[in-house]
Amino acid sequence: MNLFLSQIAAIVWKDFVTELKTRELFSAMFIFALLVMLIFIFSVNLSIVKASEVGPGILWVAFLFSGTLGLNRSFVLEKENGCLMGLMLVPADRTVIYFGKLISNFVFLTIMELFILPLFMIFFNIDLIEHLLPLLLVIFLGTLGFCALGTLLSSLASNLKTREIMLPILLYPLLVPIVIGVVRMTGQILAGEPLSEMMNWIGLTASFDIIYIGVSIMTIDHILEE
Amino acid sequence: MSPDVVEEKEEESNALVWLTGFALLAAMIAIFIYVPTERKEGLIQRIMYFHVPCAWLSFFAFFVVFICSILFLWKKDREWDIYAHASAEIGVVFCSLVLITGPIWARPVWGAWWVWDARLTSTLILWIIYVSYLMLRAQSDAGSMRARYAAVLGIVGFLNIPFIHFSVLWWRTFHPQSKVITNEGIGKGMDPSMLATLGISLCAFTLLYFLLMGERVRQEKLKDEIDRLKREKLYSS
Repeated sequence: MNLFLSQIAAIVWKDFVTELKTRELFSAMFIFALLVMLIFIFSVNLSIVKASEVGPGILWVAFLFSGTLGLNRSFVLEKENGCLMGLMLVPADRTVIYFGKLISNFVFLTIMELFILPLFMIFFNIDLIEHLLPLLLVIFLGTLGFCALGTLLSSLASNLKTREIMLPILLYPLLVPIVIGVVRMTGQILAGEPLSEMMNWIGLTASFDIIYIGVSIMTIDHILEE
Repeated sequence: MSPDVVEEKEEESNALVWLTGFALLAAMIAIFIYVPTERKEGLIQRIMYFHVPCAWLSFFAFFVVFICSILFLWKKDREWDIYAHASAEIGVVFCSLVLITGPIWARPVWGAWWVWDARLTSTLILWIIYVSYLMLRAQSDAGSMRARYAAVLGIVGFLNIPFIHFSVLWWRTFHPQSKVITNEGIGKGMDPSMLATLGISLCAFTLLYFLLMGERVRQEKLKDEIDRLKREKLYSS
């Protein structure tokens, strides 16, 4: 068990060092999320539509689009110079690669989201501070589900000829349930409803996370096999 | 394969062709001549006898994809990959028919081609998932990689169905309630003649599924055989 955890930690640490050295991914994700928000602000008239009604949707679209950038990078980066082959040659279980990538994708995306939230608050004039804890729980559940399925499909898409195109096409339809769930919950939280009002949605997203992490553990061996 | 076996197989598939043909003919007669016109909705209601069987067939086909994908990852046998592929193609075709016949019915009855109702939305998402499944197959070269990736997507996609179902159900719903299986028991919500017609139509479409499946699997196997022969000749000469 200890070995398993330290192997995962090694992969996460490797991803962080690469990111700190290159600083390619994080800035790109952040700017892209900001741009997505701006484009949506221009496309809806905020003087007619209530900001708290369109805000949650725009926030999550920004998260998912920029998260897809991160997912695309995560395995393609390993493809260059045959690093993925090196990772697979390591005498470790294939789930280690999955969990390592899952955690680093999750942490990058969460950091990016924490940077975007204050800007969202300013642009939409919505006070997030009083609802911060339930909001963070929803962001945690949504991001985890996105990364669980996204890491699996990104490992799959990285071996295709048209990987940048195929990843969103494969990923977005499968994410529909979780997107509906988190946008609904974020809207309800911003309207001041307590978490106990939306237990069905929390159950749905949490079971989505658990089932897809489980499916990934079972199928990752068949994807990372060469 | 010896000639005897081939002949026997052909006889079997001929029987299925005739059976499916008769069933479809019976379904047509039942739909257009036998069953009375519905009082409120009028003639357009008859499209239901196509719509519901198509929906049943496509869901059944996607379920077969799921089962064959699991069996493929377990046994690693090309046979299951062929079945999953054929079933996904048939499923997408009939799911498209559901999405086409639905709006044709909805326009006069609801007054709109499309509403964002739970069942419409989930059928649309399902259609997109399996179109992306077929795209994944088209994007990768033939071989074990394509089969493994498609199998993973076949499993992941089918497991998504309950989540889609509940999320869009809690989102909103206006689809006509199911009339065949209601709280009062099976078949109480409908006239017996309508129920019989729907039953015949369902049987005919199920037979059609097996017929199409057999043909598509045979095609794919022939393709494999041609590839094998080509390689053999190429390297031996």
